[in-house]
Amino acid sequence: MTDRSVKPVNRRDAIRMAGLAGLGLSLAACGRGFGGGDDEPAGGAVQLNMVWWGDAKRAEKTQAALDIFQNKHAGITVKTEYQDSGPYKDKLATRFAAGDPPDVMAMRMDSVREYADRGALLDLGQHTGAVDLSGLSDGARTLAAVGDKTYGVPAGLNAIGFVVNKTLTEKYGVPIPDGNTWSWDDLDAFARDVTKASGKKVYGTHFDHATLANIIVFTRQQGEDFYTADGALGASEATIAAWFDLGNKMRADGAFPPAGFIEDVGSSAAQSYLAKGSIAAQIIPTNNFLAYNDAAGGNLALLRIPGETQGKRRGQSVDCPHLWSISAASKHRDEALKLLNFLVNDVEASKATGTTRGVPASTTIAEQIKPTLAPEDQLATEYLAGLQKEQLPRSFTYPPGSSKIASSLESLSAEVEFKRQTPQQAAKAFLDAGRKALGK
Amino acid sequence: MTQAARPRRDRAGYLFLLPWFIGMLFTVIPFFASLYLAFTDYNLLNAPQWIGLENFREMLQDPLLRQSLKVTFIYTFVSVPLSLVVALGVAMLLNQGIKGLPIYRAVFYLPSLLGASVAVVLLWKYIFGLNGIVNAFLGWFGIDGPGWTSDPDYALTTLIILHIWTFGSPMVIFLAGLRQIPGMYYEAASVDGASRWRQFRSITLPLLSPIIFFNLIQSLISSFQTFTQGFIMSGGTGGPADSTMFYNLYLYQQGFSQFHMGYASAMAWMLLVIIAAFTALNFLAAKYWVFYDN
Repeated sequence: MTDRSVKPVNRRDAIRMAGLAGLGLSLAACGRGFGGGDDEPAGGAVQLNMVWWGDAKRAEKTQAALDIFQNKHAGITVKTEYQDSGPYKDKLATRFAAGDPPDVMAMRMDSVREYADRGALLDLGQHTGAVDLSGLSDGARTLAAVGDKTYGVPAGLNAIGFVVNKTLTEKYGVPIPDGNTWSWDDLDAFARDVTKASGKKVYGTHFDHATLANIIVFTRQQGEDFYTADGALGASEATIAAWFDLGNKMRADGAFPPAGFIEDVGSSAAQSYLAKGSIAAQIIPTNNFLAYNDAAGGNLALLRIPGETQGKRRGQSVDCPHLWSISAASKHRDEALKLLNFLVNDVEASKATGTTRGVPASTTIAEQIKPTLAPEDQLATEYLAGLQKEQLPRSFTYPPGSSKIASSLESLSAEVEFKRQTPQQAAKAFLDAGRKALGK
Repeated sequence: MTQAARPRRDRAGYLFLLPWFIGMLFTVIPFFASLYLAFTDYNLLNAPQWIGLENFREMLQDPLLRQSLKVTFIYTFVSVPLSLVVALGVAMLLNQGIKGLPIYRAVFYLPSLLGASVAVVLLWKYIFGLNGIVNAFLGWFGIDGPGWTSDPDYALTTLIILHIWTFGSPMVIFLAGLRQIPGMYYEAASVDGASRWRQFRSITLPLLSPIIFFNLIQSLISSFQTFTQGFIMSGGTGGPADSTMFYNLYLYQQGFSQFHMGYASAMAWMLLVIIAAFTALNFLAAKYWVFYDN
């Protein structure tokens, strides 16, 4: 082994180098994979981490606004991350659990109290000097209020609206009822006529019975609150049963497509059955009006939800696609507040984002950017402005446990659709499960 | 070799083992963390609170947990035997000495590689959609196909068919096993006038039984852990009407959607116990039907 004794040393060194290099690489990869916010740029500059959900189009518009912000605040950079809403929810929870929360985040209405009640979010009411909320209507300002605390600012405002494809109704010669005063029966009759006139090539309408926003409007029209001020379920069994009954009735008389016709194919406007032309009308969030109009061929009418003038009171509400919240543990609280104030109150920022997150929450900003919007967005903005002028019942924040309520509504809607349970049975099961989930 | 050279060489060995040790850290720590969390109330945002056996007590009274066990058991006990039968059948066909065996083997194996991937499940959804290929085909015979993925009575069946379609990986193992059986047994049997069926029962099955056993255990374990198919097919809901609520999907929902991580950890340990029990049962039963050569 004498003359070969040199070689193993080299080989061993090589192995050691390779091993260390490999280790270093894998550790570096971990650091990136966990999305940490610790890699600060040099020179005392602050990097904010802002996360939200959405698509590439929204990313482009958001980045445009952030570029303006970074130009105005030389010391602050904003690092964003985004993905689809399902994975977003899970990832956000994981980041909080890992002790690595983002500074600024999009917050779902149905999750805000899951976080806020556990002390994870900053009470913006303590920082009114930093974020100016004077431009917001009362309704908008209290969307994320729990008691006397405020855990988020609406990233924009929207409502739900009923869209009708005029190309189809004109083709089949079915007149569209007056969208301000129509009843659920008018909708049923209209939809039945479309289905009949098209020989079942097009079904008159379909809307999802499992979407909370829809059932909330219906519940209010019956004079009840779906969620009450103290975070309980306020809807009666009769109301839930009537909601399920409505779907069954419309399916039976051909206004709705048959059970199983609507499949979960994705949530974007382009994937919708409205865009495919297989149904003539549906409920959408108004901030997506432009996207749906594009996807459905550009001839949609925007109506109110039926039953608004027949019900005990107005059911529609002004909501938001999501809130902006700040983490209570943010190391850069002041900068995060600055960014939030910018997103809410800067005209240029709102011009850049347009209505990707709905109409700007501040009414003054909304007025200023309206002329720069696409005609569809102007229409959606007017729709919302009209609603804000009316006496609408207040919405209360979703209590913790409402994600469980959403999922039980989802499965019970399918049970009813396939006639495995009667509306009465499902309503009872829903309230039992819901009360258990809320602990009330 | 000198005495001094040995530790040096050992060091190189340890260096090569290092990635394994690091990997183990990422396994062992979560392993014990989840054991601890199973006895706590942990909502991801606040520190875990020790609650003893409360999570396990709650599991006994959780109707959705029962539903998820039902879905998982039906899925496993229907699709595992069927996919093994199909895998063995195709392996025997391919073992007839046909030309182009590598191509067939690859073609049949491919679905196993892709089986649980997001793209394939989505594709499956379109194939089985209300206006998909399957219903178009049934339409030729005047049959009105159901909503294979949207109807709670059919959604699980659709996933079982998907599972059976991915019979490739047990098939490849069967194929290797079949090649180990010496041809002279069959020659001797045909000389004695044994039928093909008799040959299959008296030669192929017994000699292949260790391979069948291996495939059975493998398939059972992976099938108990099914997640992706249910998650993608139902958009994460386990729907329609909880008909595809696999145990692991429910566990995931509890942990990440409903901030119920302690309960999810308890569920994970329950799954471990279930899988261990079924594996042990199989090993006990194996004494009666698995034959080892020599």
